[in-house]
Amino acid sequence: MAEKIWEKRQKKKWLRLLRSGDHQVFAEFIDKYKETVFLCCRRLGLREDEAEDVASETFLAVYKAIGRYSGQAELSTWLWSIAYRQGINYLRKNRRQWELEAEPDEQAVRSKEPEPATAIQGRETEKIVWEAVERLPRLWAIAVILYYREEKSIADIAKVMKIKENTIKTYLFRGRDKLKQILGTAFEEDIDGGR
Amino acid sequence: MVAGKLNEDKFDEILGQSLRRHSEPVPPGFTERMLRQIEEAEQQKILARVIWQERLALAGCIVFGALAAIGVTVFPGRIAGVLRGIATGFTERGGAVVDGIGQTISIETVRSEWQLYAILALVLGFAVFSLVDMLVGDRLRTA
Repeated sequence: MAEKIWEKRQKKKWLRLLRSGDHQVFAEFIDKYKETVFLCCRRLGLREDEAEDVASETFLAVYKAIGRYSGQAELSTWLWSIAYRQGINYLRKNRRQWELEAEPDEQAVRSKEPEPATAIQGRETEKIVWEAVERLPRLWAIAVILYYREEKSIADIAKVMKIKENTIKTYLFRGRDKLKQILGTAFEEDIDGGR
Repeated sequence: MVAGKLNEDKFDEILGQSLRRHSEPVPPGFTERMLRQIEEAEQQKILARVIWQERLALAGCIVFGALAAIGVTVFPGRIAGVLRGIATGFTERGGAVVDGIGQTISIETVRSEWQLYAILALVLGFAVFSLVDMLVGDRLRTA
């Protein structure tokens, strides 16, 4: 209990320093969240150079807006919404927003055909799951990542993606279903082992 | 049915664990580059403000000069009167104003000599603003 209170106080102090524009604290913030921002950019289908540009724009936007961060939403949710918006704006500017709904391109999918259970033995589960997520349409993938990895609620995901909660539920349902199709054979044993 | 639910739960567990374990690669030196960009952005902001201030001062000079020229051309009599009034205020009553500092300046005095006070207030205001901006402007902006 005391530890939790201490953690909360430390977090408050850190947030206050972050809001004051302290460069050292902002560097800590970047270090802590850069993976998240790159993850968002790449899942939106941005190329390496584009992802770095959009990630930079995201952190610059955060630096300018951090004074207005009220603390109502979780900091990571707030950051996700900025990164997601920057990525979508980039795609829109380059007339590539159609890519968000589209299935990933055929060539990439063919090179990542699901492997039989024997072939994946010895490979890391994490890598296989990740490759499967990359085969989902981008918006589904983002919803799945926010829900399963970032452990965000449906309401928070809806806020980040500025989409109705029911649509998010549909993305999650379809995404999960497709992942089950892809990973079904690969994890048959693991899942059955849970019985 | 129960077995199906167990499978569902197990699947969710594997999915969640695997996604959480994933670490996304970040280009090396990204944080340092980002901090440099932020510093550059701040410097540009300060520079833009200085340029804006200089433009404002220049525009003020041009507008004031233009107004004076137009005024002299269109209303020579009235402008001469106003200028004479100001000049009188500065020379004859200027001393009285200085002497009056510390005493109460009545509203009536300000009303009758409004051109003189308006110019004094403008000049004084701009001088104070420039001085404060020069001394602590950067600190205020970066705070």
